[in-house]
Amino acid sequence: MLAGVKFRNPVIAASGTFGFGLEYRQIAQKLGGIVTKAITLEPRAGNPMPRIAEVCGGIVNSVGLENPGIQRFKTEILPRLRNLKSRLIVNIAGSKTDEFVQIAEMLEEDQITALELNLSCPNVREGGVLLGQNPKLVKNLTSAVRKRTRKLLIVKLTANFVDPAVTARAAEDSGADAVTVINTLFGLVLDENGQPLLGGRTGGLSGPAIKPFALFCVDRVAAAVKIPVIGCGGIMNGQDAYEFLCAGAKMVQVGTANLITPDRSWKIVRELAVICRLKKSVQFKKVRKARCKK
Amino acid sequence: MNPATSISASIIRKTKLTSEIFSLWVKPENTESNPAPGQFYGIKPPDNADLLLRRPISVADTKNDRLRFIIRVTGKGTAALSRLPAGTKIDILGPLGRPAPLVYNKNVLLCGGGVGIAPLFYLARILAPSNRITTIIGVRRAEDLILVNDFRTLGARVLISTEDGKKGIKGILTDLVPRILDKMAEPVIYACGPREMLKKIDEIAGNLPVWGFLEERMGCGTGICYCCGIRKKTGGYLRICREGPVVNLKEVDL
Repeated sequence: MLAGVKFRNPVIAASGTFGFGLEYRQIAQKLGGIVTKAITLEPRAGNPMPRIAEVCGGIVNSVGLENPGIQRFKTEILPRLRNLKSRLIVNIAGSKTDEFVQIAEMLEEDQITALELNLSCPNVREGGVLLGQNPKLVKNLTSAVRKRTRKLLIVKLTANFVDPAVTARAAEDSGADAVTVINTLFGLVLDENGQPLLGGRTGGLSGPAIKPFALFCVDRVAAAVKIPVIGCGGIMNGQDAYEFLCAGAKMVQVGTANLITPDRSWKIVRELAVICRLKKSVQFKKVRKARCKK
Repeated sequence: MNPATSISASIIRKTKLTSEIFSLWVKPENTESNPAPGQFYGIKPPDNADLLLRRPISVADTKNDRLRFIIRVTGKGTAALSRLPAGTKIDILGPLGRPAPLVYNKNVLLCGGGVGIAPLFYLARILAPSNRITTIIGVRRAEDLILVNDFRTLGARVLISTEDGKKGIKGILTDLVPRILDKMAEPVIYACGPREMLKKIDEIAGNLPVWGFLEERMGCGTGICYCCGIRKKTGGYLRICREGPVVNLKEVDL
């Protein structure tokens, strides 16, 4: 349950790590929900290759929001996501408030449960993380979108050079239903000659390396706001997910782990169910239910 | 449809082919994994916090239910894989990607640069019974040559270029391509190797389609992370892992 909306289980595939849900529908069905890759008003080609680098305990990506734009998303992708049994969350990105509002207005389809405002992408020149670093911008943007959508409104926050508790409060005050904490952290990877390895020069760090920091942020944000927190950052297995729930998250998002094996999120659902049962935690009944169904 | 679940496979045999290249024959457990030429598997290096991602490795051959991978050590992940002894279980995901189109009763030209010859061998084995095959293998040093006799055993004509001139012609693979193409009627070309080589072959081939086997740093290998693109001539990117790795080079911007 998130802000009055039921989810099958508390595990969601994070934006950018599960495509648009078309590639692995059979897995998407079993999760609490999936967040699409970010959608922008106009199509975006994304950053030059290479877009990914492996680092100790994680990866640094610089995809740069490659996506077909809202129009093609609506005509080519959304129809293929009909009758998805889990919750569909559309991640939306832009450089100006107006763009977010326009996209939000165009996403009225019933099949969409929630919009996730991407105020935290580290891989674009305009918008992205710059929006999420400024509490005032978070406030303006959230309230502007809030006025135009009846969908569940989730704000995905950054912890890059900003206290996410402050921006979370700004989101809460402007009508957000939940916050996702955290997006990737800034990263720079150099090759053996000291040159940037990624085509986009810098990127976003994710994976187990950021888990302790992400947990810290979830703990801090959960204490600062009343709206639910969706924990995200380096969750690789059921135990990691459990720790985020213990830190105060209502639900979790799994990202990097999906790149390793596409059904990893589903495995996390099952592992989490076992852990919650072992811990006799009544709070996570739903996880157990999801597991029994299988 | 790409598989969503990885499978466990035992290394049956490991052989060192050159100082940098090794061959793994693996036997996947309980699966009817049946890759087509051009497809690849995501091979997980042994558990290590530095090596989260799978390494995309093309199928070099199959036998019954066994798979052969020929791998060049290029970094930490492939080095870790090269150290695994026979009998080790590895975690693999696949087959992934779009296979090479198959042809019948044609003159086929295979161009493999370095370890790029590996996936072309599996293709050659499938094409050999119904096509006439010419293979060009290009390497820097004669000691880097692999699979020469294997191609000959299939009945393929094999030409070699080495930069050190110790075997075949002295020079690079693309020096041989125009000469061979001149003598081939309606050739079908498949090529795997460095981007520069693919670009050159595509230029030489003119209007003839060239099926290029591409590689790129990959995230997922399954099409969900959009990390391994190649620019389309019509704009935007193709995902090498999903719409590739075998693509018509006329359609992409190398």
